[in-house]
Amino acid sequence: MTARMKLGAFLWATGHHIAAWRHPKAHVTAGVDIDHYIQLARTAEAAKFDMIFCEDAAGLREANVGIASQTSRSIGFEPISLLSALAVQTSRIGLVSTASTSYNEPYGLARTFLSLDHLSGGRAGWNLVTSASPIEAANFGSTGLKPHADRYERAREFAEVVTGLWHGNAPGHDGQSFSVHDPLDLPRSPQGAPVMVQAGASDVGRDLAARTADVVFTAAQTFEEAKAFYDDLKGRMAAYGREPDDIKIMPGVSPVVAQTEAEAREKHEELQELIPDDVGVALLSSYLSISDLWRHPIDGPLPELPESEGMKSRQALVVEQSRRDGLSIRQLARHFAGARGHWRIVGTAAQVADELQARFEGGAADGFNVMPSYFPGELDAFATLVVPELQRRGLFRRDYEGRTLRDHLGLKRPA
Amino acid sequence: MHLAISLDIAAATREAVLDFSRISKFVLQAEAAGVDMVAISDSADGPSSSPFEATTLLAALATVTNRIGLVASASTIAHQPYNLARRFASLDIISHGRAGWNATMAQSAGEAANFSRPEGFSDADFRRRSEEYIGIVQGLWQGWDADALLFDKSGGRFHDPEKMHLLDHKGEFFSVRGPLNVARSPQDTPVLVLSGLSEPDLDNAARTADVIFMDSGSVESTKIRFDDLKRRVAARGRDPDAVKMLATVPLAADETPTTVADRLETQFRAKSCDGFDIRLPARHPALDDFAERVLPELRRRGLVRETYRGATLRAHLGLAGGGDQ
Ligand SMILES: Cc1cc2nc3c(=O)[nH]c(=O)nc-3n(C[C@H](O)[C@H](O)[C@H](O)COP(=O)(O)O)c2cc1C
Repeated sequence: MTARMKLGAFLWATGHHIAAWRHPKAHVTAGVDIDHYIQLARTAEAAKFDMIFCEDAAGLREANVGIASQTSRSIGFEPISLLSALAVQTSRIGLVSTASTSYNEPYGLARTFLSLDHLSGGRAGWNLVTSASPIEAANFGSTGLKPHADRYERAREFAEVVTGLWHGNAPGHDGQSFSVHDPLDLPRSPQGAPVMVQAGASDVGRDLAARTADVVFTAAQTFEEAKAFYDDLKGRMAAYGREPDDIKIMPGVSPVVAQTEAEAREKHEELQELIPDDVGVALLSSYLSISDLWRHPIDGPLPELPESEGMKSRQALVVEQSRRDGLSIRQLARHFAGARGHWRIVGTAAQVADELQARFEGGAADGFNVMPSYFPGELDAFATLVVPELQRRGLFRRDYEGRTLRDHLGLKRPA
Repeated sequence: MHLAISLDIAAATREAVLDFSRISKFVLQAEAAGVDMVAISDSADGPSSSPFEATTLLAALATVTNRIGLVASASTIAHQPYNLARRFASLDIISHGRAGWNATMAQSAGEAANFSRPEGFSDADFRRRSEEYIGIVQGLWQGWDADALLFDKSGGRFHDPEKMHLLDHKGEFFSVRGPLNVARSPQDTPVLVLSGLSEPDLDNAARTADVIFMDSGSVESTKIRFDDLKRRVAARGRDPDAVKMLATVPLAADETPTTVADRLETQFRAKSCDGFDIRLPARHPALDDFAERVLPELRRRGLVRETYRGATLRAHLGLAGGGDQ
């Protein structure tokens, strides 16, 4: 049997395109409509996706209220409550939520995810993040965002405590950041332990992933970037006594797909035109950790940037792209706003499938985290156009073979 | 008379782990009986026979019920206030305005030891911390005005920036800028239930609570505490009826429906409470008895309303902000 790719459906607000909510067919009230999410989850499940994935930030995404009010990202469901609701409205699909190691305690987080795992019959996963935003930090104290290295040191201990609790190890942890007295008061997970997901891309982030993750998300534009990341991460695993196949690497991809290439391009243009310049520039500057990007001429090049304490890797990726393609701030902002630096493919189902297949078979990905431009339309399009094409090529399952998320992903069950 | 059923899932069955379908059947039965709310107790410190943490269970129950209020316990030790406020705000939208948070004012030492606080807090510190915590949560729940979302696609205005408010809280224990990234509750704010109160907690409870669970003693002693509490509520400039005091009554297996109904009627007619928090093990026979025999008897006596008249938990409880009642 040929290997099958893994697919995640990344659900976010009205869509991954910054202007998604303004699209005539976007479901604009997504952030207050649970039935909409139930529908999306069922669409993804009917298409046999491995999982749905929810991002998370414990705070607004954008500090400038004028900018924030032109996006749909300031309000939405808290993901653990959302996925707990979806757990009993679906039966097979995996349910992965992001949660921060910086603003939670390991005992509570381990308990909550294990509970979601029981509610769903073994379909839960946790995307570990260290939270890079100063906006979030201000909701948890007055000392501001902790340095990248400190956040990752805390995350390493956090992950160790959580997996220990899930594996039912002898209780009692008294460490640098955490102390835990008791074992969890819940039965063992139906899948051994919930699935551990990570998206760290910096050196420490990759090391933590190589040591503890079952699934890794990443942002890569080109085949070469994706392949370099893939080889690097898999190469780090031996040091922790793990097999390369113990981690599934799933880069993000934001396809705009239609029956014909012309239609797909038109759909893409329609979305691009809905981006206000100030929103695009603000989004770009937040990922670059530079606050005064708007002072620079919008049709000029990107200025030199200071070293970032936030998402180092994403900054490097954007800078690299701007230099490579000679893009102005406006062009870069527009481009970036589409999928926040993730890979975008605009075309027919066959074209999208070709590109996915090339990265999958070229050893640059084990699967993909699909980031629809707007909901529900672009998830529907992927499910009805691209998934059948991948199935015809034998690249994707026609039905679920197991019950748990670990089964879907082909992951070992922890002892 | 207002009625809550407190599900003590942990104490329910030592034999078997309850599964979700059994719990949901139970809650649907309570809903069919017109009970105001089901409260799920929870604490991260003892052996449990439930595989579910209360807020995750509440979210799941919200999708399979339509009318009944759903209240979950969540500890001020186990969660940061921003995260807790956000979780319940989200549960309230998932349930279309039927969610409540049960905050216990009693500190659990076992829980602190699992949350990197082996030494716990002194009673006085815990009390000041809880007060500050509740103020933050209620403040965050009001960060977005009810009409803040515009959804104006062509004008490019998703929300009105004037209608989103920072909290900017800086206190002894917490510093929280806000706002929440969850929209305003369909019932104004989730219902705040306070339990485990001791005497020094009463003034804060009178200022902030929507519902208070209070242990019931004799009719006389319960009435003294009820009157005292209502006086305190009025002294804080609130309508005494804006806080519902429910007396907690464990149901004994050997009581007949008539004796239970008599007991509740006597307490209620003596104006010693606004209703009851009935403690039931999550077993069907106990609920069957209550729903099929005690409740009809109370209805026959005109003590309990026939059906839900509103859609939100606040409406069931007759609290402001709940829409039609
Ligand atoms: C697909 C994907 C999803 C992510 N989701 C979140 C998220 O929900 N919340 C968050 O704080 N960070 C999120 N991140 C950021 C990563 O956790 C990580 O911080 C980032 O890739 C930079 O790597 P570093 O932390 O090692 O510097 C996501 C990244 C990717 C690629």
